[in-house]
Formats: sequence, C-alpha cells, structure tokens
Amino acid sequence: MEIEILQQPDCAIAHVVLKAHEEIITEAGAMIAMNGYISASTTLRKGKGGGIMGGLKRMLAGQSLFLSVFRSPSNGSDIFLASKLLGDMVVYPVANTGIVVQAGSYVASSSGVDIELGFQGFKSLFSGESIFWLDITGRGEVILSSFGAIYEILVDGEYTVDTGHIVAFEKTLNFKIAKSNSSWLGTFLGGEGLVCRFRGKGRLFCQTHNPVAFGKLVGSQLSTSKKTSIVSTIFDVIK
Amino acid sequence: MAQEIAYTIEHSPSYASLRLDLKANQSVLVESGGMAAMDTCIKMKSKVQGGLMKGIGRMLGGESLFVSEFTAVNKSGQLFVSPGVPGDIQHYYLNGNGLMLQSSGFVASSPTVVIDTKFQGFKGFFSGESLFLLRAAGQGDIWFNSYGAILEIPVDGHYVVDTGYIVAFEDTLNYNVEMLGGLSFKGLRNGVFGGDGFVCRFQGKGRLWVQSRNLFSFFNFLAPFRPTSS
Repeated sequence: MEIEILQQPDCAIAHVVLKAHEEIITEAGAMIAMNGYISASTTLRKGKGGGIMGGLKRMLAGQSLFLSVFRSPSNGSDIFLASKLLGDMVVYPVANTGIVVQAGSYVASSSGVDIELGFQGFKSLFSGESIFWLDITGRGEVILSSFGAIYEILVDGEYTVDTGHIVAFEKTLNFKIAKSNSSWLGTFLGGEGLVCRFRGKGRLFCQTHNPVAFGKLVGSQLSTSKKTSIVSTIFDVIK
Repeated sequence: MAQEIAYTIEHSPSYASLRLDLKANQSVLVESGGMAAMDTCIKMKSKVQGGLMKGIGRMLGGESLFVSEFTAVNKSGQLFVSPGVPGDIQHYYLNGNGLMLQSSGFVASSPTVVIDTKFQGFKGFFSGESLFLLRAAGQGDIWFNSYGAILEIPVDGHYVVDTGYIVAFEDTLNYNVEMLGGLSFKGLRNGVFGGDGFVCRFQGKGRLWVQSRNLFSFFNFLAPFRPTSS
C-alpha cells in the first residue's frame, strides 16, 4: 500500500495505491473516487472491535456505525480518500506502542490495524466534551485528519494540550485530565475546556482548530432544526 | 473564431480567485453575483444566455437563471471573479467537444460557449444532493469551481466517484449512477453517517475532475450544533 497526501495543507486528499488483494479500511463516506474494479463492502470486521456490538459501540462514539472496506483485485488500483472538514492529513505507521486517536480524526487504516472504541482512561472525564477516542493497535498504517493544520510535538517530560485540539498521541505517553484553570469558575470564564497533561516520551499530534468550538460558533447562528432524524432521536434516547 | 481570454487563478487551492484580463471590447460571461472587483472601463449587462428557455433550464439545474456579461469597453481591463464557496478553480478550453459540469460549478466562460441543462443529467442522480449537470459546448474558455481542491483524474477504463464529489467531466465518458451495495446504509439517513452509497460509474476515456471536500458533509457536520426548537 502506498499512501500519498495531496493538496496539503488545507484540502488534503489521500491517494492510496493498493497491491493485489490488499485491503484498506476507511471511515464510512471517506471514499471520493476509486478505480472501478475495487470492491467495496461494509461488513463489520471480525475480531477486536468487530461484530454488531462493536459497530454499535462505534456509533455511540459519534463515529460512523460502519467502516467501509475496499479490496483491490489487482496491483496498482487506486482510491482517493478525504475527510469532512477542511484540513490536513498525516500518515502514521502503527507499530508496537499503538496510538490513541480522536474519533473524528480517523480516516483510514490498513488491514493489520485494530480499531477499538472507547479508550477507558478518558471515559467519564470526557463525557461532557463530546469527544471520543479510538484505541489503535496492531501493525500497519493509519491516516489521520485534522481541522486546520496538524502540528507534531515530541513530548519528552511534560506537556499540556486542550482536549479539543488533540488529534492523536502515542500510548507511551501517560496523561491526566485537568482543568486549565485552578478554579472551576476560571475554567468556564476563561473559555478553556479541559486540558490533557501528558507525561513521558512520545509523539503527540495537534490540530490548529477545534472542530467543536467551530461547530458551536456557526451552528448556534443557524435556524432551529424542526425535523429530527430518526438517528438523532436514537442518540437522544441513549443519552 | 473564439478569442482566448487571458487569465490567472490566484490563491488556489483553498481560496481560488479568477483574474481575467480582457482585451478591448472582449466579453466574458460570469455567474451572476460572481464579480468581486473590476476596472471601471468594464461594463456589466445581465442577460439570459441563449434565450429564455435555456435560462429556465439553468434555473432547474440549480444554477442561477442569469449570467452577467462583462465587456471591456474600448480599452483593456481587469476583472476578478470569486465563487461563493472557498475552493479551487479549474480552466478548460472547449473546442467543439462537450463538458459536463456539476450545476453549481459554473464560474465564467467565453460568450461563444453554450451552456445547457441536459435533462439526461437527472438520470438516476440522487436528488437529495441536487446534483444536476450542466452541459457546456461550443468553443472557448470555461472556468468551474469546487469546494476544496480540484483533482484531475485521467480515466481510461472504469472509475467510480461518490456523486457528492463530482465537479466536471468530459462527455467522452459514459456515466451511470448506481448504488454501490457495499457502501449503502439502508434506512439510515445520508445526513448522519455521510455515506449514501450513491456513486457514479464512469467508463471510457476522458478527463474527470473531483473535489477534495463535499459541502453536504460540512452541513452534516454543522447540523448537530443547530439550536433545537423545543
């Protein structure tokens, strides 16, 4: 599998050339265009995080219910992938350590990579922030996207990042969720949400813009939605 | 006969703006409302290209009914055209062949280019995304735009494109819309999960342009943030 990121940094598209019988797993809807001979399926993956329950878990994460699987019949078939928001992409080679990815930043991964939803360490702490996390392990490549540009920080020691700006971080990093301000009042008035304090040594990917902050800003100016789709109702019931 | 128009596309691929350098008495057709800035010697005239019926055809195609004609009167002048959405602009020179355009993709063209809503464009296209096609023919320059960057794909054989990402393609390509079973999420609205499974399958040989982002995906992203009426 050869991955090339085109049109960086603000309209990034991933161009992936597959070998014969190679598979790529993508977020549902990430495919823009592809060679006509590539076969597509949304079969739920078996194994870790697979099965119907795995799919449901993924749905609850605000991530698509299904992942699409594209399989190439021959050498050299290509496929183009994009994320939803304007921004950049980065290819991360998953090896021993594994990586934790913000659900909205996941675009695609090669078949040797396992995707598990819900990084336990964050579970309760992040619930108010509507950000969910994927625990990615195995071996292969994963394509990540950002809202705005991506910048990488090589943490050695301690580092603090606003949770809305995290794209992904290596699991060699320990982390602790904290308020950005010493008092809760200051946290709310300051507009800074929760921050993540990292400790250890590892790579950390951040995005220049916070999608939730942008969504709130623009979304609040839109007219009220009268029609609620079935799915959003389901979401409300679950909540 | 058609005289080429000198142009530059600036700030591509995210904030592309089209700069046209018109010679004396040269004219250009611009999507109505597309003009951003111009020299004072340029005069504007709203018109319905190719008669009223064709204009109505364009309206049905989702494209505004009117285009504006800009003419550099007696001396050369400069004109900036900006599409409504941030993205890229692509130039194409028509030489008697046809170019199919996504209905909202028209930016500007030579007056010698004929734009028509091809009702075959309805053929199976998923109306929820209002992807109707315009057909540009004749001779001369045409410019079209996208949301996000434009990527050119030279097709030779089979190619599949998500309907929401088509910008334009040469009419030497055969196309038909189908639902790619493996991609569809039956019963779930497109709006929520982004994948409706509708694709356009191209066959033959010709050039195809796709955009790197889809405006509908963006709307879907914003939708959950809308205030809810209680």
